Amino acid sequence: MELLTLADVKAYYRTPSGQIVRAVDGVTLSINEGEVLGIAGESGCGKTTLAQVLALNMQPPLYLAGGEVLADGVDVQKLPPEVKRREYRGKYISVVPQGAMSALNPSLRIRQFVADLMREHYSDLTKRDALDRAEQRLRALDLPVRVLDAYPHQLSGGMKQRTVIAISTLLDPKVLICDEPTSALDVSSQRSVLELLRWLMKEKIIRSCVFVTHELPLLYQIADRVAVMYAGRIAEVGGAEEIIFRPQHPYSTALVGAVLVPEKGMKERRVEGIPGAPPDLRTPPTGCRFAARCRFVDEQCKADPVERTSGTRQVWCWKPGASA
Amino acid sequence: MTIIRTFLHSGRFVAGFLILLAVLIFGILGPTLSSKDPLEMAGSIYQKPDDKFLLGTDNFGRDVLTELKFGTRTSLTVGLLGGVMATAIGLSVGTLAGFRGGWVEELLMGLTNVLITIPTIVILILLSVAITVRSAWVMSLIIGVTAWPWTARAVRAQTSSLRTRPHLDIARLSGSSGFAMAIIDVLPYMASYVFMALILQVSSAILSEATLSMLGLGPTNTISLGVMLNWALLWESVRTGAWWAFLPPVVMLSVTSFALLAMNSGMDEIFNPRLRRR
Amino acid sequence: MSSHFRRYLAQKVVWYALAFFLALSLNFFLPRLIPGNPASQIVSALGQQGMVSSQAMKKMYEQYMQDFGLDQPLYKQYFQYLGNVATLDLGTSFMQFPRRVSDLIGKALPYTLAIQIPGIIVGWIIGNLLGAYAAYKGGKTDAVAFTGSLFLSSIPFYCFAIILVYTLAVYFKVFPAAGAYKFGLMPSWTFPFVQDFLRHWILPFLSMVLIIIGGQAIGMREMAIYELGTDYVNYAKGLGVHDRKVVGYVFRNAMLPQVTGLALSFGTMIGGQLIVESVFSYPGVGSLLFTAIRQNDYPMIQGVTLIITVTVLAANFLVELLYGIIDPRIRASQTGEL
Repeated sequence: MELLTLADVKAYYRTPSGQIVRAVDGVTLSINEGEVLGIAGESGCGKTTLAQVLALNMQPPLYLAGGEVLADGVDVQKLPPEVKRREYRGKYISVVPQGAMSALNPSLRIRQFVADLMREHYSDLTKRDALDRAEQRLRALDLPVRVLDAYPHQLSGGMKQRTVIAISTLLDPKVLICDEPTSALDVSSQRSVLELLRWLMKEKIIRSCVFVTHELPLLYQIADRVAVMYAGRIAEVGGAEEIIFRPQHPYSTALVGAVLVPEKGMKERRVEGIPGAPPDLRTPPTGCRFAARCRFVDEQCKADPVERTSGTRQVWCWKPGASA
Repeated sequence: MTIIRTFLHSGRFVAGFLILLAVLIFGILGPTLSSKDPLEMAGSIYQKPDDKFLLGTDNFGRDVLTELKFGTRTSLTVGLLGGVMATAIGLSVGTLAGFRGGWVEELLMGLTNVLITIPTIVILILLSVAITVRSAWVMSLIIGVTAWPWTARAVRAQTSSLRTRPHLDIARLSGSSGFAMAIIDVLPYMASYVFMALILQVSSAILSEATLSMLGLGPTNTISLGVMLNWALLWESVRTGAWWAFLPPVVMLSVTSFALLAMNSGMDEIFNPRLRRR
Repeated sequence: MSSHFRRYLAQKVVWYALAFFLALSLNFFLPRLIPGNPASQIVSALGQQGMVSSQAMKKMYEQYMQDFGLDQPLYKQYFQYLGNVATLDLGTSFMQFPRRVSDLIGKALPYTLAIQIPGIIVGWIIGNLLGAYAAYKGGKTDAVAFTGSLFLSSIPFYCFAIILVYTLAVYFKVFPAAGAYKFGLMPSWTFPFVQDFLRHWILPFLSMVLIIIGGQAIGMREMAIYELGTDYVNYAKGLGVHDRKVVGYVFRNAMLPQVTGLALSFGTMIGGQLIVESVFSYPGVGSLLFTAIRQNDYPMIQGVTLIITVTVLAANFLVELLYGIIDPRIRASQTGEL
């Protein structure tokens, strides 16, 4: 069942000087119940913007320029802002933002924010009830209850990250969007975060998860499906294993090849950087956006690639498999 | 070049700069092109502005316009000298402290913090009272020597954080000497910050000189905007309605102060993008 | 009281004691740099004006010598000075001999405080509200408020005072131009006196408060804009917390630096007020200083600078104390990193 669907979504930024940055430029994607979808790409490919679109949290100067965002069949963008806020944000879709370190208000104790949050969505909840629920959840997640009494600066980095995940999932959201949740953490903290996410999925506290990152190997550990994003568009999407070990889009291949961490099965691959730089999204090129850096480019690539589906995989390329 | 272009984008900066330029031209060219002596008693007391005296005369019968020209020059000179001095001292102390760390930092910052806590106006008053003969240069010195602490503190905060940047390690490894390394490597990062601090110090120096002069502790041998105001106050120009004796220096001071602060505000917006609206 | 706070408090007390001591020393030494014997200079100057008999002159001379201990070595004078200050003995005024400096300052201080304290409180509150409102609203409201505040905050206090006096008191004659109350009236708590007092008070008060509002508004607007763009605001919004609540968070956090900012501006405000009082001939400490400088009344000058130092240090100390209470990083006791 599709919990969240993006249909040809375009999300642009208007810069102070009046230019338009086409950060997300025609993305069609769906998130299904019970799955973890990974979104991979370099910095600047638009994945954080995509995360904001998915989280229904587009703040100006970001605006929806086209397409539809459907949550369980309902076009969410057309709903009045008050409904969006109360019924969807935090409740249906929730976020674990990039830089969870600074996501917590430094002058509030954790429990104050938690109480505020819960009572925004369930107005007849008393403060005591809200805190009880929070305590229960923390215990279930194996976090010390003392966290509630603390100020953010008293918590370590890994603890803050897990606390933020706990807070984001307090309302049992159906979709949890995680934007680079492990990028600032050491390896053991990374592992605890991944375990936490797996556990939340298993206990059905969250029904699906979107994991945005530039570290492909991480997705091998947690994702069921992976979408590779480049210059505002999806290059390729499919099962995690097939995307990572048998990429068909030249960019996916290059991304996998640029990985330095020796994961099982990846040791045999040569490590190469990707020459060149992503296009300026204020003036995106016509045709395939990867053409300028692609080894296999030819005349066809001057036109926008059409989608090719084979089994569980979709590729947007004129020559899928050329890089295999 | 791109830096200059970015500056031009800020309306505030451009407006402030143009006004400052006008004031500078008035204050520098005015006295040079003027053949008159500001201290000469050319007319009768508190004459209204007319063809001969464009801004009338003051309580001594002196031409206010000429006084304004020379007064602006003095105020600007003291402001510039005092401001540059204060910035230079603050920069040196702050860089030394932030860079060396250890007991040097503790000592210098201790001194700085104590001086910040003591109200500057008090030290200015006491120094000006103690030095009975004061020229514009002496005023600059007095102001420069008392205004540096806040710059030192701010600079040290910057250098402290820059101290651990990798390129500094490289410089250290390649053998550049401590202080030289500080100047050459760290300064480009701080250039914007230092420039803004300079603008603020100059503005503050101009106003400090005016304050001291208005209290009667200004330059003893020359005229400045504050001195003009001091006379205007002492000789009741406000209550007798002789607006030409006090409005020109008031306007000149306010306008200069505004211009400098506008420039600073403009630069602040450019260099601190987080302040721009998202 | 958490241990963090105790440590903070102790640190502050030591700092301020040190600063006070240094200021005291400067207060003592700097005027002593003036060459010559001030006592004989003043006395002979007065004598030349023929206003005083030679007997009176001798008395004055002796009084000053005693006050300052000018016949003693410098270090003894220093300790005498410290002792005097401890007992609030600030010497005898030159220009108003034989009145004591502490008396004269004591009479003038209430007038100064009557403008300073309301000025700071009202200015801070209104200024911060204005700045926060402008930051929240954005657009035209923001542009107007910002330019206005920038303009107001860049005008020196006394320039504004002069403009106010001229326009409202001399040209338009709406308010009185000088003094704290009408000549001939005696200070008392009666309604007519209070009314007259307020009429004289309003212009000096406005001179201070409007400029303070400008300055605070600029600062608060900057802080609020910054806070509105932070990650925690974004996160709270992302989780569906109402704008109203989020704005509350923003103001709470933006307030903190504004409190320290206030402390830093005390020094400038005092300097400005000194001259504002002179402009209005308002019988506060500023006018006292103004006349004292003109007449080379060194004991008075020293006395006033001392009072200014004490007031500013005390105000700063209170503000830092307040900050220690409201900043959670200092207030919260350390439970150890979790």
